[in-house]
Amino acid sequence: MATSDTGPGCVFEAIALKKEYDGGQVQALRGLDFRINEGEFVAIVGQSGSGKSTLLQLLGALDHPSTGTLHYRGSSLAERADLSDYRAHEIGFIFQAFHLLPTFTALENVQIPMFETNRPAADRKARAIELLRLVGLEGRQHHFPAKLSGGERQRVAIARSLANGASVLLADEPTGNLDSENAALILDLIVRLRREQSITLVLVTHDMSIARQAERVIEMKDGRISADTLNAATSRNPI
Amino acid sequence: MTFFTIVVRGLMRRPVRTGLTLVGISIGIAAVVALVGISRGFETSWEAGMKTRGTDVVVSNMGSALTPKPFSASVVDRITPIPGVAETCSLLVELMSIEKAEMMIVSARQWGGFSWKNLKVVTGRLPHDAKERAVVLGKTAAEMLQKKVGDTLQLETEELAVVGIVDGGAVVENGSVVLSLSLLQELTGSEGKINIIDLRVTPGTSKEQLNKICDDITKAVPEARAVIAGEHIRDSQAYRMISAMSWGTSLLAVLVGVLGVMNTMLMTVFERTQEICILLAVGWKRRRIVRMVLLESALLGLLGGLGGVALGFIGVKLMINLPAIRGLLEPDLNLTLLARSVGIAVVVGIFSGLYPAWRSSRLSPSQALHG
Repeated sequence: MATSDTGPGCVFEAIALKKEYDGGQVQALRGLDFRINEGEFVAIVGQSGSGKSTLLQLLGALDHPSTGTLHYRGSSLAERADLSDYRAHEIGFIFQAFHLLPTFTALENVQIPMFETNRPAADRKARAIELLRLVGLEGRQHHFPAKLSGGERQRVAIARSLANGASVLLADEPTGNLDSENAALILDLIVRLRREQSITLVLVTHDMSIARQAERVIEMKDGRISADTLNAATSRNPI
Repeated sequence: MTFFTIVVRGLMRRPVRTGLTLVGISIGIAAVVALVGISRGFETSWEAGMKTRGTDVVVSNMGSALTPKPFSASVVDRITPIPGVAETCSLLVELMSIEKAEMMIVSARQWGGFSWKNLKVVTGRLPHDAKERAVVLGKTAAEMLQKKVGDTLQLETEELAVVGIVDGGAVVENGSVVLSLSLLQELTGSEGKINIIDLRVTPGTSKEQLNKICDDITKAVPEARAVIAGEHIRDSQAYRMISAMSWGTSLLAVLVGVLGVMNTMLMTVFERTQEICILLAVGWKRRRIVRMVLLESALLGLLGGLGGVALGFIGVKLMINLPAIRGLLEPDLNLTLLARSVGIAVVVGIFSGLYPAWRSSRLSPSQALHG
């Protein structure tokens, strides 16, 4: 397996990362090189079509790069035998549209990722209750998504992303479907959880007010990184 | 919450569609249960009739009709000298429309033959002799014809006295009109003709010896065939046709079931594309997705199978009271048939789920981010 000598602090390392669609007619990512370190809060910003969501898909192993290499903690993701293990145990995804399963209660939705662990049913339930308490939804466990507000749904989704103890959270416009008040609450929750649990957070947004809360901002334009800057007010790690 | 909960919720997502699919499978499986149960019942009922008459071997010529072709009564003279043959009783058995009954077994028996001896008189008596212009009715036949001792029964052009109601110990026997052989030959203008010879062999005859006796009789009587009692019905082209039709219809019903379940599961997979992609995105392995889809379709099959068995069972029980078949057969709804029918339904479910499961396993988790 290809490894990288980036050291123990590096979570992701991208080398000449490209993603093309339609046989190369669409070039979503045009050769990215970057590193994301342990515990960092990185915001990826850019206009629609700039490639930020594509990059998040590659980081989350939801898709494969066309060329180039993406290392996770020193080893190439492309050479992993089972990417579902990576998705189940290493990362947690938070989607803009929440993507909860409508026929399952909040409690059940949080348990869904835990089916790929060896936890017994009672442990899964206990863990889900604990996570829902953590996101402030202890009283809404048995509600179906349709009966929850947008903010509450995103809280359930956040609890689900933490179900298997992920060390990396990938959030795709997590406040995009929320009003400003709920958006602020959700962002605070994500930032708090990330701080309390020492999680690496990669957050895609087009909202610069959110990006300003990150320690580092990667700006994308036309599939390339146009700027990679540290936020002086929040940063603690060098790039 | 268990994995099974997830499977059940998948089916409950569209309860009307799931319900209609279950009805479709149930009807298909009910058809299997009813048709196969009835065709087997036909066989077992006749076999039971033979057993109660104490018949070891049946000599007949089962052609394409439900009753055997007639042949000369004199063939008995060629059978009795064959070693191992202990006793014979000639019969002329016809299916006839009698008064209110559309189809009834008329069983004319050689007077004094052993085939009379299993008949237990419930009321009245047996005929005094072969010449008495009288019949006895099996108890089901008496019910169907609404006759009692002292009434008359119109058979062909003559009214015969009903002198007794009998219990023959088997559905076929109880559904029969029984009279003396010479009387029916006279009424139907079939003098000197019979179509069945019931035969008893000497006690202690082995299966091999029984087969040899059958071979010897068939050689001695080329116009008929000797078969061990119970097996003769399987020789009938009519029975074979009924059996083939019942299996053919069942196969069609199963095919319709396969298409129904496959359609439902494909719709489910198409509708739940994003849900499946989310499951992949949160770390579910593809084989778990495949297992989920297959379990859903197997569960559809199982529930449809159980419903079909219940529906088929009730349907057959109602059907055997129809005038056209009442007293002719007792459906053979044994546990093996019922279990096999449920098994077929589960296999149908799993088979139908294979393609949808494969489709679901080809989905990319990246689709979760779209929409």
